[in-house]
Amino acid sequence: MSEPSVLEVEGLVKHFPIHGGLLQRRTGEVKAVDGVSFSIGRGETLGLVGESGCGKSTIGKTVLKLIEPTAGRIVLAGEDISSLKPGAMWPHRRRIQTIFQDPYSSMNPRLPSGTIVGEPLENFGLSSGRDTDERVARLFERVGLRPDAMRKYAHEFSGGQRQRLGIAKALSVNPDVIVADEPVSALDVSVQAQVLNLLIDLQEEFRLAYLFISHDLAVMRHISHRIAVMYLGRIVELTTKRTLFTQPLHPYTEALLSAATAPDPKRRQQRKRIVQGDVPSPANPPPGCHFHTRCPYAMPECKVTAPPLIEVAEGHHVACLRRPVGGDPGPLSVPG
Amino acid sequence: MSVTSGNILEVRGLQTQFNTLDGVVRAVDGVSFDLARGETLGIVGESGCGKSVTALSILRLIPPETGRIAGGSIKFEGEELTTLGEEAMKGLRGHRISMIFQEPMTSLNPVLTVGTQIAENVVRHMGVSWRAARERSFEMLDLVRIADARRRLDEYPHQLSGGMRQRVMIALALSCDPQVLIADEPTTALDVTIQAQILDLMLELKEKTGTAIVLITHDLGVIAETTERVVVMYAGRKVEEAPVEALFAEPLHPYTRGLMRAIPRLDIEADAAGMRPRLQEIPGLVPRLTQPIPGCAFAPRCGFATERCRAEPPPLVDAGGGHTVACWEVDRVRASAL
Repeated sequence: MSEPSVLEVEGLVKHFPIHGGLLQRRTGEVKAVDGVSFSIGRGETLGLVGESGCGKSTIGKTVLKLIEPTAGRIVLAGEDISSLKPGAMWPHRRRIQTIFQDPYSSMNPRLPSGTIVGEPLENFGLSSGRDTDERVARLFERVGLRPDAMRKYAHEFSGGQRQRLGIAKALSVNPDVIVADEPVSALDVSVQAQVLNLLIDLQEEFRLAYLFISHDLAVMRHISHRIAVMYLGRIVELTTKRTLFTQPLHPYTEALLSAATAPDPKRRQQRKRIVQGDVPSPANPPPGCHFHTRCPYAMPECKVTAPPLIEVAEGHHVACLRRPVGGDPGPLSVPG
Repeated sequence: MSVTSGNILEVRGLQTQFNTLDGVVRAVDGVSFDLARGETLGIVGESGCGKSVTALSILRLIPPETGRIAGGSIKFEGEELTTLGEEAMKGLRGHRISMIFQEPMTSLNPVLTVGTQIAENVVRHMGVSWRAARERSFEMLDLVRIADARRRLDEYPHQLSGGMRQRVMIALALSCDPQVLIADEPTTALDVTIQAQILDLMLELKEKTGTAIVLITHDLGVIAETTERVVVMYAGRKVEEAPVEALFAEPLHPYTRGLMRAIPRLDIEADAAGMRPRLQEIPGLVPRLTQPIPGCAFAPRCGFATERCRAEPPPLVDAGGGHTVACWEVDRVRASAL
């Protein structure tokens, strides 16, 4: 996976203003994304995992340029798109497509599904008329739908089939990168398996890069090559999935893994250190390391200094003051 | 009221139906199970399998305009609930049988403080004074480990986080010492670290109060880590029931096996060389429930299905050790590799 990356993100920041008071003055800001960097290669899946409000979806929307970044660089297939205005962004949009959690809400209920899937082709002038129909029919087959279903409307499909429609639509313009935001979270497990298998097959066939956003660690472990764990707008750990699951270094990653349930009743006995408390508000995150309020290993220093994300071992990036370069990767001790 | 068994709840041949434009939907089609005192029973299945409707039927919360309990019996402490008067049912709900839902925000009243809502339930069922009920509210919030419970009594649901709202729901549900707590996807809307906290809390409170729990979920992980016995439902029917260890050690119904193979596993190191093994799909779709299903409802999607499976509904048979399964081909299933 170590060829030039197709999507590079550097120091990405997205702050949303909070308005309040009588005059709706700006009274603060939500630091939804607070200096995030990563890259994805062709044919690679980078997973973004974290709990609600950690900024993972905001990253997805920002790299799609559906919202403007506050700061930072987004380089798509070698071109810096971070400050492109909508018009200038247009030709680049073909390269980066998205799959949503609920494809139904993004589909016009009055158009036949074949037209919905073919729209991007026509919008980008890649085909028209009969040619579009033929290409759409091939897309339908490729994602496991019968081409004669092109006449049906979105509401006539089941949830899993709609997700296949969404995938066909994203695929139609032959993109380099697909941002998939919780694409299987609304599906039943038997259907979820079908969609995950399809996504993996398509990735291998078309060398797609996936930015895969999910809160589900088991799905992440299945589909990702590398995983970035986010907490309150920052990446706290980034490494290959195998390392992440076998040797997590950040206390938050450890907490996430220990809180996840597994379909094995025997695991019950070997439970478990559970972090207590809620995720703090992203409008008012704790100073220093954002996780220190819930971290059993926090030192006084953690309340003051925000740890940078550093590469402590090859390909293993961690943002924790207690995990220095070349440090002991073993369990941390509780101070005092 | 004669209680002859250790079961607090006995459901027999429950049938719940809804009238829709497409015809009568048999949402629950002859489901039977028991709940022992102090037990945690899991009901697992995918969307539309009838698990939530089963719960609503027990509490008689099926909207009468569209649905009805069409047959079967539900006995709570030996008392038949399907024919019980509405006033008597109101006395049971929130008192001796309680329920918590997936989205606490929709079941809490947005214009009342949480303290008032809990106290309301206590006054209604226990007949105590408001002052005593308010004290009980405080005790309950404290019990579900809401920090600074005294102050939280005067807060409104929107002021609380999702995890805290679910704690309030649990406090409310347990405020009158129910014998049965029905929890329908109680942690599905919560983040994983909060889910772990809530599941732990439910189990801990169960130990303390002896309340039996019916935990309804689609999540086999939650089932494995919290329940003692499991009912697997498919298309409105019970297809398998077993103690939790037995179910996960040797699932016997092809549907249960299919479910277990379809989930990505967090606990198995299948990714040794960065590989991504294929998940096993269950082909096809769930059947429509508007048509009577003559044979086994899973037959059209099942690799073991024979002519008989498509023609005759399989009875539940005892597979030993409290494990029952509704499958004609269970011997072949058992002989095949998991």
